[in-house]
Amino acid sequence: MRVRKRDGSAEPVDVNKIVRAVEHWAGDLDDVDPLRVATKTISGLYDGATTDELDRLSIQTAAEMIGEEPQYSRLAARLLSGYIDKEVRGQGVASFSQAIRLGHAEGLIGDATAEFVAAAARELDDAVDLRGDLRFEYFGLRTVYDRYLLRHPVTRLVVETPQYWLLRVACGLAHDPAEAVELYRLMSSLAYLPSSPTLFNSGTRHSQMSSCYLVDSPRDELGSIYERYAQVAHLSKFAGGIGISWSRVRSRGALIRGTNGQSNGIVPFLRTLDSSVAAVNQGGRRKGAACVYLEPWHPDIEEFLELRDNTGEDARRTHNLNLANWIPDEFMRRVEADDVWSLFDPDELPELPDLWGEEFDALYRAAERDGRYVRQVRARDLYGKMMRTLAQTGNGWMTFKDASNRLCNQTAEPGDVVHLSNLCTEIIEVSSDTETAVCNLGSVNLAAHLAGGDIDWERLRATVGTAVTFLDRVIDINYYPSEQAAASNPRWRPVGLGVMGLQDVFFALRLPFDSPAAKELSTRVAEEIYLTALETSAGLAERFGAHPAYDRTRVARGDLQPDLWGVTVTQTERWAALRERIAAHGVRNSLLIAIAPTATIASIAGCYECIEPQVSNLFKRETLSGEFLQINTALVGELKARGLWTQEIRDAIKRAEGSVQGIGELPAELRELYRTAWELPQRALIDLAAARAPYIDQSQSLNLFMSAPSIGKLSSMYLHAWKSGLKTTYYLRSRPATRIQQATVAVARQAVPVEDAVACSLENPESCEACQ
Amino acid sequence: MLLDPGMDLTLRPMRYPHFFERFRDAIKNTWTVEEVDLHSDLKDLARLSPAERHLISRLVAFFATGDTIVANNLVLNLYQHVNSPEGRLYLSRQLFEEAVHVQFYLNLLDTYVPDEAERFAAFDAIENIPSIRRKAEFCFRWIDSVFNLRELKTRDDRRAFLLNLICFAACIEGLFFYGAFAYVYFLRSRGLLNGLASGTNWVFRDESMHMAFAFDVVETVRREEPDLFDDEMRRQVSEMLAEAVDCEVQFAEDLLGQGVPGLSLTDMRAYLEHVADRRLAQLDIQPLYGSKNPFAFMELQDVQELSNFFERRVSAYQVGVTGTVTFDDDF
Repeated sequence: MRVRKRDGSAEPVDVNKIVRAVEHWAGDLDDVDPLRVATKTISGLYDGATTDELDRLSIQTAAEMIGEEPQYSRLAARLLSGYIDKEVRGQGVASFSQAIRLGHAEGLIGDATAEFVAAAARELDDAVDLRGDLRFEYFGLRTVYDRYLLRHPVTRLVVETPQYWLLRVACGLAHDPAEAVELYRLMSSLAYLPSSPTLFNSGTRHSQMSSCYLVDSPRDELGSIYERYAQVAHLSKFAGGIGISWSRVRSRGALIRGTNGQSNGIVPFLRTLDSSVAAVNQGGRRKGAACVYLEPWHPDIEEFLELRDNTGEDARRTHNLNLANWIPDEFMRRVEADDVWSLFDPDELPELPDLWGEEFDALYRAAERDGRYVRQVRARDLYGKMMRTLAQTGNGWMTFKDASNRLCNQTAEPGDVVHLSNLCTEIIEVSSDTETAVCNLGSVNLAAHLAGGDIDWERLRATVGTAVTFLDRVIDINYYPSEQAAASNPRWRPVGLGVMGLQDVFFALRLPFDSPAAKELSTRVAEEIYLTALETSAGLAERFGAHPAYDRTRVARGDLQPDLWGVTVTQTERWAALRERIAAHGVRNSLLIAIAPTATIASIAGCYECIEPQVSNLFKRETLSGEFLQINTALVGELKARGLWTQEIRDAIKRAEGSVQGIGELPAELRELYRTAWELPQRALIDLAAARAPYIDQSQSLNLFMSAPSIGKLSSMYLHAWKSGLKTTYYLRSRPATRIQQATVAVARQAVPVEDAVACSLENPESCEACQ
Repeated sequence: MLLDPGMDLTLRPMRYPHFFERFRDAIKNTWTVEEVDLHSDLKDLARLSPAERHLISRLVAFFATGDTIVANNLVLNLYQHVNSPEGRLYLSRQLFEEAVHVQFYLNLLDTYVPDEAERFAAFDAIENIPSIRRKAEFCFRWIDSVFNLRELKTRDDRRAFLLNLICFAACIEGLFFYGAFAYVYFLRSRGLLNGLASGTNWVFRDESMHMAFAFDVVETVRREEPDLFDDEMRRQVSEMLAEAVDCEVQFAEDLLGQGVPGLSLTDMRAYLEHVADRRLAQLDIQPLYGSKNPFAFMELQDVQELSNFFERRVSAYQVGVTGTVTFDDDF
């Protein structure tokens, strides 16, 4: 077998050469076998392959061995890091400042950042951590390489290494080199990462760095609807996720006075929105994404809930839009009481979207008494349909209008109303016809803040301080794709600091997800982060002044989030001192905390997503970059220590789809610790979220998990979520009814149950077909 | 007995409830072609190497007719002989699924092969691509073997029927399709052709059920009439699988002829032999090859998937969820 070299000559493949190359990177990874990587690589090769193909195949081969030994993930990451380095150096780039110069010359890097770097080239070049890439797992680095590094517009080769990329992001946000280095070091340590739009765009010519936009419903007229399409398209183009309400638009059958015709309702308009969202891709990186919010009194609510079904008339389906219910308490009360629910046309009752709490209840009931509804339904029937939509599509998120308004810092004054949440249900901000709410996000990696069997609280405070400072900075540097967004953000200056890696912390400290100690710790972490964030924001206000709309907030009236919930804080002295500072100078940011899903940045940081439990001890991630095996390294460590990391155990875990509940060799307390999201009581997830909620001034992307959902289980679960006072919930994750036959675990002769047709199985009547 | 000639219409008491369970599970897996977004694939196709493009064009040419052949055999040779109304419910459902697969691959070819003449050639692959022709001939021979049987009266009739059933489950759905899926999953593990992969995922899930149902029928018959499945039949099944492996290896030689890094012919042959051994094991027959699975990317198909909802459509939901609103269920 021969390979073709870059100069075109051919030479025989030399296994020893590959072994040496792998050994060079293996270093301290004791459990990897360079010879196996080399021989497997050659076995996948064809005669006449190029050396570049050989390099890439060796990376892929190492990555594919992660299932038997997690250290191969590190090895593959290092091989990839070497490969990227070669790609960058091949373009004559030997330092960070040279990379920036090339990027600027190619029209990628913005002028300000290019000048900033040129002025401090030496200092910044020296700041690059040459061993920084060693912290990446393969999946994280692969994601960075495929999606985040800037590419040459013509050759499509990457023009920056992963460390240059993080330093570039820092330079895009910093005022001086020392600041840039501070933020770079924090990100390079993977202890904190800003959200993807900032990682994509900071320092570039298109510095759109916000993640979320909340667009109020179009007014009930054609011009406004088409203006919203245009606004959504612009916001989407620069990688923002969109939430948009549609509650003000009249329903099917309502009169159109101008033409004396009848409206076709909201579905055809949402179809257009669906196409528009799919058409605009986010800077070429992924398809646009939007979530439509509708209040359940809207007469088109039932058709709305069917928009994501995969059966029925395709002209009434939207395959790209996400759906969320924006639910007033009155609806949930009627569901609980098994009462009727009246549907009103927004044309008839245009005030409803702007009212919440008692004012909403009063108008709603009065209009109901006056018979102004289009029709009435049984509240439970509609609620059941919502549950069905969640079970069958995961969509139709339950978000609560009254809690969201009652507990929002921005709603102290009449007229300031939260009309919807965002694409991921963690942002709660006021919006209006002329103001589109904006939020830029970042997340602390809790897994990187562990020391000596506890959270390193000192380090956590330092991280939060830096994070809030730079989240606040984004507001001024940011490019706003619509005038409504530019109108809102400077007034309220909201940011959303979240967390990731909570599950890593629980594993490290051996706290089962549903244990009281886990709840206690997660609540203390939330308090520490909110408190420190407020302290930082108060400090910014002392230097730069409170945000312009400060007087309209609840904080200005002395009410912080825990006050609105009526809970008692634990760090009383710090809170008292903070209150004095706020009373004197206010805060720079109306909102500070939002727990985003962190899907991609958690991958980069190599930790579990936000506040979520693990979905499985062994699973694959499907992304635009391909498929990646993910394995619970904490569990592998425990198994190795007990001599249980064997092919049999690996197969058993695989057969059980990543569950260890059937591994009898593992002590019961470890089986309890390593339960998956499917095996945990969902009540615990809700209770953990509710316990930390008094320290979350926006909201949380709270996914819930149910393998085999039923309407009964779901209706009980979401009623509990509402009663717990949560502002929002997010996806319902569920699993397919049957799965693909496994191809790589041992098989035996097919088993068929012994038929006993007429016997009655009284023990298990539900599964018995005999007498039904 | 299951293969006794007739038109049993009695669902209560139910003789084979597990057939009915499979029918119900299959319904929960309902998907439609419109849900598969092939758009991003076009960009990938443009950046594939010539060797990879050749692989894809051969692969879709096989897909163009594969499911139609299976559907035809189901209607012509299986349905009439599986004399159980609940078993026929499942087969009706399977037929629907085959039709959806045919529609999916039709849509795929229309999207992937914009040139009309080329597209017609792809649908005509059985005639003009030797490696596909050989596989088709193998199928046709087994379809013909029972085509003239109106009723399974004799022991020989029943054995012929079983061989046909095993051929379609183990060789065609269980090996030809499994081979084809390996190519798709190889590409997906490299982040290529996500649209094809997500559709294939659903097809694969259905095919897994079809195979499992067919093996259920085989096992049921073996239990009811133990003497049918003797050493002679074991020999015939082994021979049949060996021939199927040969056909599929020839197909692989065609697909991989131009060199695809990470997918060598040696590894592909070992994979096919490994799959054939598994089919034999499921039928309680000695393995022929003793080959191990060389493809780590196939392990990825054995574990739970987690996708970012904003990147790809999630296939993990069920339809037909039931129940009523209550507030005291455990969750």
